Amino acid sequence: MSSLVVDNVTVSRGAGPVIANVSLTVTPGEVTALVGPNGAGKTSLLDGISGVVGVSGGRIVLDGDPIEKLSRVARVKRGLLHIEQGRAVFPSLTVRENLSLTARTGADMDAAIGRFPELEKRINSPAALLSGGEQQMVVLARAFAAKPRFLLIDEMSLGLAPVVFMRLLPYVEELAQSGAGVLLVEQFTHLALGIAREALVVAGGKVGYHGPASALRDDSELLHRAYLGGSAA
Amino acid sequence: MLQGALAGLAAGGLYAALAVCLTLMSRLVRVVNFSQAATGMFGAFVAVWLVTAAGLPIWLGSVLGILLAGALSAAIGWIAATWLSEASTTARSAMTVGPLLLLISLSFILFGNKPQPFSPILGGPAFEFGGVVVSQVTVVMVLLAVVVAVAVQLILTKTAVGTQLRALSERPTTAELLGIPSKPLSIAVWAATGVISAIAIVIVAPSQSNDATSLAMLIVPASAAALLGGFTRPGLAVVGGLALGVLSGLVAQIEEVALIRNFLPFLFIVVLLLWTQRKEVWDSAR
Repeated sequence: MSSLVVDNVTVSRGAGPVIANVSLTVTPGEVTALVGPNGAGKTSLLDGISGVVGVSGGRIVLDGDPIEKLSRVARVKRGLLHIEQGRAVFPSLTVRENLSLTARTGADMDAAIGRFPELEKRINSPAALLSGGEQQMVVLARAFAAKPRFLLIDEMSLGLAPVVFMRLLPYVEELAQSGAGVLLVEQFTHLALGIAREALVVAGGKVGYHGPASALRDDSELLHRAYLGGSAA
Repeated sequence: MLQGALAGLAAGGLYAALAVCLTLMSRLVRVVNFSQAATGMFGAFVAVWLVTAAGLPIWLGSVLGILLAGALSAAIGWIAATWLSEASTTARSAMTVGPLLLLISLSFILFGNKPQPFSPILGGPAFEFGGVVVSQVTVVMVLLAVVVAVAVQLILTKTAVGTQLRALSERPTTAELLGIPSKPLSIAVWAATGVISAIAIVIVAPSQSNDATSLAMLIVPASAAALLGGFTRPGLAVVGGLALGVLSGLVAQIEEVALIRNFLPFLFIVVLLLWTQRKEVWDSAR
């Protein structure tokens, strides 16, 4: 079965490891939430999986093949897409041009725009002129057009009002329902846990909890303990 | 006066073509390429050697020299893309001083330090304007600069590759995370600018100072021209190149100020820097 397996991975930056010995499996059609306090190493882990930084230990296996030595572009070709923190649009490119980077055919482009009617009237505007919510719609539309098999999403809500982010979250669920395995890093913990099946809580560079997201949703004490770095697994 | 201005247009076209190359490099691959003119110079020198020593027809020697310049530029680009892909623009630009010096030295070793016996590819008058003869070289150089600038603009705004290049120039990591192959694309930009530089130098070199240092140092007026467009706008780079060429031609005609001609690019750079920095407050600018 298709899967993205992160096996005992350590990511280091500068002086030492930022996050160590993380193991998880991302399954197609499901959302896995990765939550934890600021500085826990969540972004570094996603960067390690997509190749933005090299991993200093462990293996990343996609459909049975190790990919940790592959280039970023080679990983994308295997179906791995990484949405970076903040608003990862190309500011001077129009909305259409932003989407054309992943939409291979006109039909892909039409389908991507069709999901976000707000973008249709801004299609020829430079992405820099869009609101924060609209920019994230461009990023999500681009992800739909790319048809990824595995999707890493890093703090999509950064700089957005919660009400705006809540409008975008169903699209993440939709991406998962379309068959993509989603690894979601999110500061709005309860919103992320609300759509996730599995969840990991990382604190201080270590995994404090790994198990069903529903257990964290239902037991705030368990969530707090994991956030504070205690072993809750 | 008109004669001087028109005489400077051919050199202006050369500055403009090189300035468009510098603009492309700066905008798309984050490099101020100090070896831009030197790679063209080396390709042109090899072309001369192929024609005079190896006996190749002039067109074939020129084509091979131009292709060599493209390959040389691509090789430098490969180094930048392989080992300096995450380095700052300053570090990547500083790296290009190495090939600049290397190519000047290599051309001294291989071809000597005298001007080369270029055979003109183009010669003779194209037409007469206001009683002044305009040469074919002038017409072709101005056209080349304009065509290159327009083609660059069209490629960047109307093609899928152009969109990818602009994406890469804005957010290289994000572009790679979308599967845009940054290394081959940036090497292609290096190769293309190497070829354009060599074409421009091969056309103009027979009619101007063509020793290795003079040709490699064309980077100075070309940089001045590119500065007019802020190293981002090819159209203004062409305007800058042609204006600098015309000014040089005019100044050369006036005996009292003829000496200034050599310093004109520096004056151009200083004036442009002062103008672009005019609103900066000393503390925040420095």
